[in-house]
Amino acid sequence: MSAEAETATRTYRPPMGAGWWTRKGHYFWYMVREFTALPLALWLLWLLYEIQRAGRGPSGYYPPNSTAFVIFSAICLPFALYHSFTFLKLAGVILRVKLLDKPLASGVIVATMFGTWLVASVVVGAVLIGFGR
Amino acid sequence: MADKRITIRATRFDPEKDKSPRLQSYDIPFSDDSMVVLDALNYIKSHVDGSLSYRWSCRMGICGSCGMTVNGTPKLTCSAFLRDYWPRSVTVTPLNNFPIVRDLVVDMEDFMHKLKSIKPWIIRKQEIPLGAGEHRQTMDQIGEFRQFSQCINCMLCYAACPVYGLDNEFLGPAAIALARRYNLDSRDQGTKERLPMIAHPDGIWECSFVGECSVVCPKGVDPAKAIQQTKLDTTMRFVLPYGNRE
Amino acid sequence: MTEQVARRPALAHLFWWFMFSQGGVLAALLIPVHIVVQGILGPLGVVKVVDRHYDTWISILGNPIVKLYLLVLISLPFFHFAHRLRYLLVDLGVPAAKSFPAQVVFYGAAILVTLVTIWVLLTTAPISLG
Repeated sequence: MSAEAETATRTYRPPMGAGWWTRKGHYFWYMVREFTALPLALWLLWLLYEIQRAGRGPSGYYPPNSTAFVIFSAICLPFALYHSFTFLKLAGVILRVKLLDKPLASGVIVATMFGTWLVASVVVGAVLIGFGR
Repeated sequence: MADKRITIRATRFDPEKDKSPRLQSYDIPFSDDSMVVLDALNYIKSHVDGSLSYRWSCRMGICGSCGMTVNGTPKLTCSAFLRDYWPRSVTVTPLNNFPIVRDLVVDMEDFMHKLKSIKPWIIRKQEIPLGAGEHRQTMDQIGEFRQFSQCINCMLCYAACPVYGLDNEFLGPAAIALARRYNLDSRDQGTKERLPMIAHPDGIWECSFVGECSVVCPKGVDPAKAIQQTKLDTTMRFVLPYGNRE
Repeated sequence: MTEQVARRPALAHLFWWFMFSQGGVLAALLIPVHIVVQGILGPLGVVKVVDRHYDTWISILGNPIVKLYLLVLISLPFFHFAHRLRYLLVDLGVPAAKSFPAQVVFYGAAILVTLVTIWVLLTTAPISLG
């Protein structure tokens, strides 16, 4: 906006306010989606610590057992699922794949993303459990 | 049902007198089920209070002038039926995220500037002379951009966008969607010319994909999709070898 | 707004967004199963999990493919988290989170996590093909 226009008519700009995301369900769930980063980051840091702990040798090692840890994971899980669900669904909106010169329907792309999620989960789960004793 | 009535609360702001806007209540007859919010405003202006200011033109959802906030949601008031709100009252406020000039009228200068900045017209490296005939397109080529060409510049998406609300430097939904509309057009060769505006820090990168722009669009344009696809395409230009060549 | 003559594509923004999206996909595909198996089913004793015993855990951690997998699994999502949390601050009314120093802090943290992960993976279990 030019400076002249600003002085010619006085306008009023309503303040946005930090609580804007509480005004609409859609905004609120957007903020939840963005917030998922925090619990997921904490859980991965725990995994890193768990790997590091193995370096202390057999006598110092104990399996992760505490109730607090299970509760922490149980809290992180819904956030992880919400991230997966939203991110893979939105990826179907963004990706444009052409097959034989015809654009693939976004439903097909979303289904592929969720299929990949399922396969990856089964493979990783099988390794984590299969090598257990 | 001849004496059905509805309460309309509208923002009043006189820049000469008022420090900040206030709401004024009007109790008016809701005489016809097909009445829209714009009809109610027109009734107020001609029968109750001639000083009420607002923009409107076509009253059929195509000019994009009558966008206002109706009970908290950006709407074209010509397409917002009173029957969907009655018996609740209807609160009409100006479009969010824009400076208020008077009553329900906002300053659209910033949007107009942004719209122009992305060059929303077909750019050719070399114009084909008129005598050479029309640029022909297949249905598939039209299908690439058709959805994004429905924009009527009503600014509802800007009013719905918290990213724009928090920082007006953001290029915003409609402008980026229109840039994409031309970038995807097989007749256009201006992608590289639009790139500096689009890929600027205040361009596509600022969007955090709230997605409300696409929800409020009265024309079914999906600006959120346009922005995310543009991010991906722009990234691929630089990530893929030779991606940045035309 | 400044005139567009001076505008150039923001390659830094492009790069960080690219890392954000890659990390996001990876987090979406892989993190839930780790939380379910290692965080809930294992500790509750529902299934036998590789990190329940020292010898199984240390032997799988020695596998170079597992090391590479864990590096990608842990480090890449942090670029996603850094980006999201930076913009979450912006959304909560902290415009300073857009500044260059804020970018250094947030993306720097992701780089730091990557370096620590490399160090941990190289120092905890000796590489073995077993």
